[in-house]
Amino acid sequence: MRVPLGTIAGARSGDKGGDANLGVWVRTDAQYEWLRAELTVERVKELLPEAGEVDRHELPNLRALNFVLHGLLGAGVASSTRFDPQAKALGEWLRSRHVDIPEALL
Amino acid sequence: MIRIGNASGFYGDRFSAVREMLTGGDLDVLTGDYLAELTMLILGRDRAKDAGLGYARTFLRQLEENLADALARGVKIVSNAGGLNPEGLAEAIDRLGLGAKVAHVTGDDVRERFPEALTANAYLGAWGIAECLNAGADVVVTGRVTDASLVVGPAAAHFGWGREDFDALAGATVAGHVLECGTQATGGNYSFFTSIDATRPGFPIAEVEADGSSVITKHDGTGGAVTVDTVTAQLLYEIGPPAYLGPDVVSHFDTIRLDPHERGVRISGVKGSAPPDTLKVCLNTLGGFRNSTTFVLTGLDVEAKANLVRHQLESAIGPADLTWTLARTDHVDADTEEAASALLHVTVKTSDPKRAKAFSRAGVELALASYPGFHVTAPPGDGTPFGVFEAAYVPRSSVPHRAVLPDGKVVEV
Repeated sequence: MRVPLGTIAGARSGDKGGDANLGVWVRTDAQYEWLRAELTVERVKELLPEAGEVDRHELPNLRALNFVLHGLLGAGVASSTRFDPQAKALGEWLRSRHVDIPEALL
Repeated sequence: MIRIGNASGFYGDRFSAVREMLTGGDLDVLTGDYLAELTMLILGRDRAKDAGLGYARTFLRQLEENLADALARGVKIVSNAGGLNPEGLAEAIDRLGLGAKVAHVTGDDVRERFPEALTANAYLGAWGIAECLNAGADVVVTGRVTDASLVVGPAAAHFGWGREDFDALAGATVAGHVLECGTQATGGNYSFFTSIDATRPGFPIAEVEADGSSVITKHDGTGGAVTVDTVTAQLLYEIGPPAYLGPDVVSHFDTIRLDPHERGVRISGVKGSAPPDTLKVCLNTLGGFRNSTTFVLTGLDVEAKANLVRHQLESAIGPADLTWTLARTDHVDADTEEAASALLHVTVKTSDPKRAKAFSRAGVELALASYPGFHVTAPPGDGTPFGVFEAAYVPRSSVPHRAVLPDGKVVEV
């Protein structure tokens, strides 16, 4: 079913200097298996076209993926001219993007 | 077990949290984090105006109101509110005249190595705090220590951990990471906020055990929630690779185990390993001056309106250092004026304060001479200085981490 990612996934995002981090987690093992296959670096760049270089880290113990979006915030919070200079809502933006999620996981 | 609470996640957090944490239930230690990268810059500007400042002034006011109560209850206070001037804050707390044994931690200020920086502070670890507490301090104030050290220091002192007790240190670091942003662990800013009562989340508490494992909880009767999901959310905040580097230990976030507990969430299983030989340094330099304004573009021809005002402003002051963003918040055939409007943001960042002012004048002068429906959300001001944050790394051995004990004795950490 085509629904917002946030139907099953939570997220929290923030800043580290000029980089943003975006953690995404789900609440069952089956959802995590799907998330890990779906949210590749390429897919995150499709969903968040403003992203440049992206690293992905897996935290299976938390059923979570952590993405580091390099350089998204320029020279950091005090200098960034970005709409959301500390990337506080980056995770909520990702959660609002529509993706195909198997009905059994909803 | 030692019960460590948090009452502040940033400089400006809920003022009454110190009182709420002291009076809401049992506590051994109350911590508060006041320092973000941006805060160091703000404190740097305070210090530039008055060398006696440079610490978080709200913390002092919180202690004025609550320190007597904390002493009576035997709750120790540990905070990085010292910012750029922990010694000045310690003296100000002494002047409150309540007879508290006040200690402070210094050595993080490494400006002499980075003379071009407005602020340069190495992230110190937990051992200075532990020294102060072992010497009987009631209040410990620090400059730039890692946020998690505010929890690791009291736990290490309480249990007598050694510097190579890496698993215990890593467990406490993870508890500290959960606590450091206050109510972000208890349902604040939480994706699934509609499933809890997020009106006024209580501040978090970590009940840390001798092996570094912990239970995250909050005082009975406070709002928000402590669940595996709220704690997971905070664990994911501002992290990079799973090997989370700190000055005392590398904490392996892929070994954290979370389990529901009757009073919150239990954290266990965390593995630690030896820390790097370098310390991270938070550098803030003045980047120049910035100014910005937002033009409201309503109704038809939004792109053409944006092009006109952009052309006008660039013709007046030149296009250099301007950043333009057109947010298409407008809707076709809208039934409210706001929904019919797009927002054109423009920011100037320049080394020349006169140019930041000229930007203002040029924007205002367009008021009767630009696109139909011209108005701005707020008129531009005179411009403000902005900082640039950078991280640097220095050898640990080059940083003089010192604990200044309540009796004035200085201990090299």
